[in-house]
Amino acid sequence: MNSVSAESIIDYETQIKPILAAHCYQCHGADNQESDLRLDTALNAITGGVNGTSIEPGKPGMSLLLSAISGTSEDISIMPPEDEAKSLSDEQIALITTWIKQGAVHPKGELEAIAIKGKDHWAFQPIVRHALPEVTQRDWPINPIDHFILSQLEERSISPSREANRTTLIRRVSLDLIGLPPTLAEVEAFVNDPAEDAFERLVNRLLASPHYGERWGRHWLDLARYADSDGYTNDQPKVMWKYRDWVIDALNQNMSFDQFTLEQFAGDMLPNATTDQLVASGFHRNTQINREGGSDAEQYRTVAVNDRVSTTGIVYLGLTVGCAKCHNHKFDPVSQKEYYQLFAILNNQSEPTHTLPVSEPVPADYQQVSAQLSEAEQLLKKSIDEAKKDQQIKVDALKKQRDALKKQYYTSTYIMRELPNPRETRVFIRGEYPAKGKIVKSNVPAFLHDLPADIEEPNRIDLARWLTSSDNPLTPRVTMNRLWQRYFGTGIVETENDFGTQGSLPSHPKLLDWLASEFVNTGFDMKRMHKLIVTSSSYRQSSYARPELHEIDPNNRLIARQSRLRLDAELIRDSALHTAGVLTTKLKGPSVHPPQPAGVMKLTRNPNRRWTASQSEDRFRRTMYTYFWRSTPYPFLRTFDSPESNTSCTRRNRSNTPLQALTLLNEEGFVEAAQTLAVRVLSEMPNASNQDKLQYTFQLCLKREPNAQEMTALTSLLEAELKDTSPAASPVQRYIGVQSTLPNVDEAELMTWTTIARTLLNLDEFITRE
Amino acid sequence: MPSSNPLDNIVRRDFLQNCGLGLGGIALSALLGDEAKSEQTQTNPLMPKSPHHEPKAKAVIQLFMAGGPSQLELFDYKPKLVELDGQVVPQSYIEGKRFAFLKKDPKLLGTRRKFKQYGESGAEISELLPYTAKMADEIAIIKTMKTDNFNHGPAKLIAQTGHQEFGHPSMGAWTLYGLGTHNRDMPGYVVLQSGNRGPRGGAYLWSNGFLPSIYQGVPLRSQGDPILNLNTPAGFSDNRQRRAMEAISQLNGIRHDTTGDDEITTRIANYEMAFRMQSTAPDLVDLSQESQTTLDAYGVTPGKASFAKNCLLARRLVEQGVRFITLYHTDWDHHGGGENLEEHLDQRCKETDQPAYALIQDLKQRGLLDDTLVIWGGEFGRTPMGEVRKSIGRDHHIENYSIWCAGGGIKPGQTIGQTDELGFYPQEEKDRIHVHDLQATALHLLGLDHLRLTHKHQGRDFRLTDVGGNVIDQLVS
Repeated sequence: MNSVSAESIIDYETQIKPILAAHCYQCHGADNQESDLRLDTALNAITGGVNGTSIEPGKPGMSLLLSAISGTSEDISIMPPEDEAKSLSDEQIALITTWIKQGAVHPKGELEAIAIKGKDHWAFQPIVRHALPEVTQRDWPINPIDHFILSQLEERSISPSREANRTTLIRRVSLDLIGLPPTLAEVEAFVNDPAEDAFERLVNRLLASPHYGERWGRHWLDLARYADSDGYTNDQPKVMWKYRDWVIDALNQNMSFDQFTLEQFAGDMLPNATTDQLVASGFHRNTQINREGGSDAEQYRTVAVNDRVSTTGIVYLGLTVGCAKCHNHKFDPVSQKEYYQLFAILNNQSEPTHTLPVSEPVPADYQQVSAQLSEAEQLLKKSIDEAKKDQQIKVDALKKQRDALKKQYYTSTYIMRELPNPRETRVFIRGEYPAKGKIVKSNVPAFLHDLPADIEEPNRIDLARWLTSSDNPLTPRVTMNRLWQRYFGTGIVETENDFGTQGSLPSHPKLLDWLASEFVNTGFDMKRMHKLIVTSSSYRQSSYARPELHEIDPNNRLIARQSRLRLDAELIRDSALHTAGVLTTKLKGPSVHPPQPAGVMKLTRNPNRRWTASQSEDRFRRTMYTYFWRSTPYPFLRTFDSPESNTSCTRRNRSNTPLQALTLLNEEGFVEAAQTLAVRVLSEMPNASNQDKLQYTFQLCLKREPNAQEMTALTSLLEAELKDTSPAASPVQRYIGVQSTLPNVDEAELMTWTTIARTLLNLDEFITRE
Repeated sequence: MPSSNPLDNIVRRDFLQNCGLGLGGIALSALLGDEAKSEQTQTNPLMPKSPHHEPKAKAVIQLFMAGGPSQLELFDYKPKLVELDGQVVPQSYIEGKRFAFLKKDPKLLGTRRKFKQYGESGAEISELLPYTAKMADEIAIIKTMKTDNFNHGPAKLIAQTGHQEFGHPSMGAWTLYGLGTHNRDMPGYVVLQSGNRGPRGGAYLWSNGFLPSIYQGVPLRSQGDPILNLNTPAGFSDNRQRRAMEAISQLNGIRHDTTGDDEITTRIANYEMAFRMQSTAPDLVDLSQESQTTLDAYGVTPGKASFAKNCLLARRLVEQGVRFITLYHTDWDHHGGGENLEEHLDQRCKETDQPAYALIQDLKQRGLLDDTLVIWGGEFGRTPMGEVRKSIGRDHHIENYSIWCAGGGIKPGQTIGQTDELGFYPQEEKDRIHVHDLQATALHLLGLDHLRLTHKHQGRDFRLTDVGGNVIDQLVS
């Protein structure tokens, strides 16, 4: 029984500590430090957390701890929270009050505890370059990757799969590296290439293709949450395509990953920043912008900064740093304070736009008019009276003309600019706006490597360098894991966005480290890593799901084979256009409007917003250039799991739904592609037999020859079609893509072959990388 | 319901006779053994699943009044507010609060509408809702709803996904994720829309978020194809379409044998579901089989898109076994000036009052009401203060707003929660009912425990109700 009298001296160890342990440690102890507060040592309790000092020795009335446990604080609800634990009794509160009044005396030996959770977690340890494991089947490995894969297979007595046949291989590697299927001529050349380095040369050609930048740029844009509109409910148009084009160029130039990072985080801060570097700083301007009437601009600016922090965490560190926005991370060593230290680095910019030419060189008429204008302005300065009036009219007219041209030839993209004076960053208590907690200075989380000693308050440049420092164990592991995931369907660490203590363990830890160290050692050379992976034996395996593997390794974590992967949304449409022979291969530029079903824009608050399908080559551009409205995404894209682009997306779903079937069967663009393909076949081989035409259509779509069973199925479909002489249900639509090249084909023949083409373009194999 | 679509009959005869749940296809079943079949059945993500506990409701119809209907003109009568009309609001009420548009020293606005008590329960209902008044004893009104954000977009997201940020699954998606669906011919989660524009927030409101996309809401459109890409392309007869479908299944089946990839089995099943949707959906939206009496009861004008038509469609969808249906009716944002509490609120009520009543009566007559939870309400309510604009209006209010529920295991004939004399806050703090509480209750009625219905995303378990939600015991029968 604890009774308190004025005389008794309170003993911290026996009387206070047990109360705190029973009621407070769960959230404010060694494991968790809600609001950065821990109460398991008296010194920590006195220091307090984000709300400041919690105990003022000798002054119970000024001690936050007391007002919290007695429910008299205005800022803090009663502690412990009513729904989580029992409140303290009056006697207990009285005891603590007296203890504080008596000076909060505690034993000298009790030190301030420093909480670092999960410090020994595997992912936070330095990268170790392990020796290549020995393998029995010595002729299988092509490069080090294969040693790691094979040794784990051999440990389990599983044999790897044979190499995929060449048609599969060229289709696979083409789709993976440039996002387009090969042409039949390319297939033939590769299949018949007797040289030992045939595959390597193919890979070199693909890596040198400008479409490589498109394919891998699109992967990066998923992470960058790229879109062409603001998001939120007003969802105004937003020019970001210059940033998209910068990504494509940077990848095509094989910019090293550390430079790629630096320019995107801090391009604007680099000495003599180029226009390209300014554009690159748009990476963190891809955040949404809320322009809804009555909303608080500052609030939504901080929402964007939060997104920048969590995107940085997920993309580079593979950590759910965002969890520490409201409280210390429950599982990983990121405190709430550290979250706001990162926040402070990314909280210090104005967010302007930068005007630059749509394309260069700027057309001559603009230069001419500009020259005329400055000439006229010079004259104006010199002229007087009536002449001045006339000259003014001339100047005004030229200005108007110049402005009109400028509007046409220039655009404004969203960039960053560092503020001369840093914004004050405060902790947002429980993550709630506005910030009311302690002021924090910029810094990086303590559980990882240190910043260079001379940096006290890091800025964005320092952050970028810290992220890609050779001491950083996470960035290379996380980046290589994502690369692996794109090629094999699943990462070596399955939870590609969580390398923390709650994430899954790597299936091949030594391989992951080997890839990471290779990446660092080669100076973050992206193309080199791509080449290493795709030329490995592991990558080249057949994707046939061997029955025995079904039991042992249903999810193919051991890579005893390749995986069949449904194509990304963009690639499905691109493949269809490519197969039909109408794909426009033009790179970059403003986003485009291919056909989409009528009425899609009606389901928003801007029902009058138009989507006018392009009638020219832009109708057949690669799908990554399709205008992306965040509130009304292009339906084809969303149906096939493209990200919503609101937050960073590190892995797309690969769903399989009835709406996908309806889309491939009936969507205007896809039917157009089928009809175009039919016309292509009919016009390219007007005198061939039906069997030859069937063969050819099949090969155009799937790059391989049909087997007997498949030919039988297709032949019976063709025969049934030819027998069906019933008139078309309604006039056959002639699509734009085929109008100009329509040969003398009758309606029935066109219908028949379009049906064949539709069938083939709908096959699972057509939309799958095998 | 006999089918008017010739395609349908062909399908039933030739194509689907071997269909198990989500499985089938003549080509496939000829090619695969029973083992493959049962495996497929297990992996169908829409297959009905066991609830956590005995459900009271099988389906939900949300009547979502987008924009924030004024509870003070419809359900929450405040004589004191009428008395103090035009006076500056006491500071104590608005200290430390933010509003979207209101400026300094706003003035109180008493309602101009007449209220009466209706039914045995004596529910207070305004003259604007004569039909709702007639069913006072069949609904439960909640007057003390609370939400967290006073902007339309985020507030709608909270109402539908439990979170103000984009990217979370909507309640319909969570429901399908938890329960699957019995319907094989239509998506399990359908969205209908009426009014001049779509709701702010758009597709996010019926998004699958981080759940698989098979759970997303499918908009049933009022013009053109009822479902995107539902119609066979121009010029292609149903026969051609069917033959192509059969060939696709057959060729996919052959590829399955070659590759051993079970994903192909799912794809075959999905093509068949798509084919069934092609015949079912047009029938479903074809109201010619409804009697004139029914059309009149709802106030449907044939050929015209309306909330009334959508209410009738909602009943037909429930009959089809569709699990979750959301109707959006827009333009309840009556600030005054443009859209106001005079003519525009009247119009909205006229458009919605009778159809909502008809829906409840129709469901009841068909014995469907007991299994169907109907929820009427918007993303927030409106302030006791008026806005100084050309005509009368109110700003957004998130501390108190009114909704009603019917059917599906709720206890009707009651009003839950009282607001203070000016309608700012609940009379008593304990009466405050958060959106998460309503969501927890809806899931509870469906047989789901909102704490257990979780999905791991970006390293943590997420749920519809974020970190809140208590089942509203008083609402449950």
